[in-house]
Amino acid sequence: MLKKRLVALGLSAILVLGMLVGCGDNEKQAEETKRLTIYSGLMQDHMIKAVEEFEKETGIEVDAVRMSSGEILSRIKAEKENPKASVWFGGPADGFISAKEQGLLEKYESPNAAKIPAEFKDAEDYWTGIYVGYLGLVGNEVLLKEKGVEMPQSWEELLKPEFKGQIIMANPGSSGTAYTALATVVQLMGEEKGLEYMAKLDKQMKTYTKSGTAPGRMAGQGECMVGITFLHDAIKYKEEGMKDIVIAAPKEGTGFEIGSVALIKDGPDQEAAKMFIDWVLTKEAQNIGQTVGSYQFLTNPEASTPEQALTIKDTKLIDYNFKWAGENRGEMVEKWNKAVK
Amino acid sequence: MENLQTSKNSFLKYRLKEMEKIVRDPILFTSILLVMISLVVFIVWPLYEILKESFVSESGVLTLEFYKQALTSSENRRILFNTVGLGVFVGIIATAIAFVFAYADAFLRIKFKKIFNLVSILPIISPPFALAMAFIMLFGQRGIITYKLLGIPDANVYGFKGLASVQILTFFPVAYLLLLGILKKIDPSIEEAARNMGASRGQVFKTIVLPLVKPGILNAFLLVFIQSVADFGNAMVIGGNYTTLSAQVYIQSMGNYDLKGGTALASILLSISILMFVLQKYWIGSKSYVTVTGKPSRSRNLIEENHIRIPIFSICLLVTAFIILLYCLIPIGSFVKVWGIDYTPTMKHYEYIGKMGVKFIKDTTIMALIAMPITGVLGMVIAFLITRKKFIGRRMIEFTSMLAMAIPGTVIGIGYVLAYNERPLMLTGTATIIIISFIFRSMPVGIRSGIVSLQQIDPAIEEAAQDLGASTLKVFTSVTIPLIKSAFFSGLVYSFVRSMTALSAVIFLISARHNILTAEIMNQVDVGRIGVAAGYCTVLIVIVVTVVGIMKLLLSKLGVDTSQSKI
Repeated sequence: MLKKRLVALGLSAILVLGMLVGCGDNEKQAEETKRLTIYSGLMQDHMIKAVEEFEKETGIEVDAVRMSSGEILSRIKAEKENPKASVWFGGPADGFISAKEQGLLEKYESPNAAKIPAEFKDAEDYWTGIYVGYLGLVGNEVLLKEKGVEMPQSWEELLKPEFKGQIIMANPGSSGTAYTALATVVQLMGEEKGLEYMAKLDKQMKTYTKSGTAPGRMAGQGECMVGITFLHDAIKYKEEGMKDIVIAAPKEGTGFEIGSVALIKDGPDQEAAKMFIDWVLTKEAQNIGQTVGSYQFLTNPEASTPEQALTIKDTKLIDYNFKWAGENRGEMVEKWNKAVK
Repeated sequence: MENLQTSKNSFLKYRLKEMEKIVRDPILFTSILLVMISLVVFIVWPLYEILKESFVSESGVLTLEFYKQALTSSENRRILFNTVGLGVFVGIIATAIAFVFAYADAFLRIKFKKIFNLVSILPIISPPFALAMAFIMLFGQRGIITYKLLGIPDANVYGFKGLASVQILTFFPVAYLLLLGILKKIDPSIEEAARNMGASRGQVFKTIVLPLVKPGILNAFLLVFIQSVADFGNAMVIGGNYTTLSAQVYIQSMGNYDLKGGTALASILLSISILMFVLQKYWIGSKSYVTVTGKPSRSRNLIEENHIRIPIFSICLLVTAFIILLYCLIPIGSFVKVWGIDYTPTMKHYEYIGKMGVKFIKDTTIMALIAMPITGVLGMVIAFLITRKKFIGRRMIEFTSMLAMAIPGTVIGIGYVLAYNERPLMLTGTATIIIISFIFRSMPVGIRSGIVSLQQIDPAIEEAAQDLGASTLKVFTSVTIPLIKSAFFSGLVYSFVRSMTALSAVIFLISARHNILTAEIMNQVDVGRIGVAAGYCTVLIVIVVTVVGIMKLLLSKLGVDTSQSKI
């Protein structure tokens, strides 16, 4: 009987250990060396390169993981009681605005932020812009030629009958990029007219993708004639071998994103995090992007504009109201859903 | 009244006696306790956190507001309809295909069985949206078949057509494995007796085979339905405008930053799955299908009539050829510059993987390997407890362990983040939490196949051992496990494979230090590096095949017969 009990005990101990320890994963919070955890909304290779450079310069060890803005925001929200990461690096500002409102960010005025123009940073220093990307149209030259159609140059031209079933954008509900497009149209035309336009555009759609970068990729692969997405992503695809890509910025004016960086409230290792933020605002750090295929415009005036992006440098931009866009997101998406049904 | 009272009393007494028996058997008692605790902690608690999130407003008041919002929008109602419609459609077709394959495998004398097996396994061992990718390569607007062969200018693969096809191909293998296990166990002597009495093949099939596999067929349908409904990867990649609930849960909670609305939708989705589950219990639970006393007495004489062989064989061959074609595209896609545009051969995608991806590959494999034995043993123990033991809480164990499968991954992911982010269990950001999610995501299938196998074995054998004085542990290890070892082995294999390809739940649990391969593949698809994504898929499939091969080798060295398991 005693032997049995011992066996039982042994078994249960093994099971419990198996359940709880899983793999004897020594998650020692290494206090002695500085470690920094980053959630990043950048492209993977851009993130990795930036992190490598920072490690080289400071000797701080960095763990970084790439996620979409929505995922990062949900993550930070869920981890509010016990934040795992200290820096949110890259991704559109509306996510940051939303996080600021929910009290998930920490105020931080970097000494290097002085150089960044006021329109690219939060007035209360909760987030700072690091790059700017323009929204636009991405076409497939071969498909357009086949049908004998010119590349559309404006929002209005997307409604031409020849584009029926040949336009792709992401779903504003799932994608920050697509929401920027929706907010742009509404700010450009007014709410009523803007939603009317979106309903007409809906008749032209082939499909709505979930992710914001997909429309550019699909246009490049010949899945559709025109995709609506950020132009710097389209330039990247073209460089990577999708040679049929052509880009255009709508001439009525277009919206843009400000990619930002921010300090996460109560995150571990705040000092290292601040060092990182200071560093990404320098011109050297901002110039890294273009070496790994990220062709956004940069917020530090001393940083050099990627030559691939020079063609769209003079794009007409609307006075995009980030505050309005961030605050009305849920409501706008709901209205859009009703309008296109 | 009087009578009722006494019967109630005697019932209670009986239950107490049962409990006493359990408590007196320490191993049984502790394992029941442990199973219960682990289920409560890793399934019930996160679900509770999700419900809490969906029922409690920002200011902490109980409210139905989020459900009202979720159910009143016409879009959500359409999505609900989409989800159920897709699940039923995919469930029926996939189960039918699975049955044809399983029947051909178990009953017919045909060549190429090896290829059928391999092919039906491929969809299981590939990452969640590999097939969707291959489908787009074939049937997209610039697809090889639609554009190059048929010259259709505006092919649209996105939506119900594409999603349903991909789901059928992805989910039928699980049903096939399940059905095959059952068909192989049917004792041929009954059929032969019927044949000797002059019954035709058709009659034998209708009156003997079909009734015996009915619970299996229903189980298979249910399994596919729930997987289809919870499927996230394909819905995201190829669903197009045909939005399903699990994709909407993600869109709502991730895209709209509306966690509460998302969890409300998820609870609705969960109710559908629970409903299906209850239906199945009620439907099958009332019948008993004991057909074997341990093992089939002899191997069956395979059917050789051509009018039966040729049609079935043709169906299998067609499906097989198609799947092989799809899978060839993935490695091919990883060796060309840009699919659909520039077919120059290149190694650059693999160079990229070698530079950037070694850590993902290593981490994922190690974590899946750790989860595998825990899942296998736990699954079989639970199946054994459910089918063979009577104790208070048995139903709860059965219900919760099955529930794990019904929860859409995206939601249990959020649930895990919500639940394990504070004391007593601070697990977010660790590898442990990823491994635990692997275990609880893949265990239900092991339990299910364990239950199906056990239901086919007459408990008398085990009872005999028990009567001769063997303890529960002894009975379990020396009688039960040998009888169901093929189910156990396929449970192990399935667990590893499923962990390697898990995505929807784990995507919330990855941290900067512990990332997984599938999330990285999704990233690459997202940024348009189809070549790199295809390369990762290829690497993943190679790893899975290697590990499964090594396992088979080891097991055959140990004298476990693995020919039953079709991987």
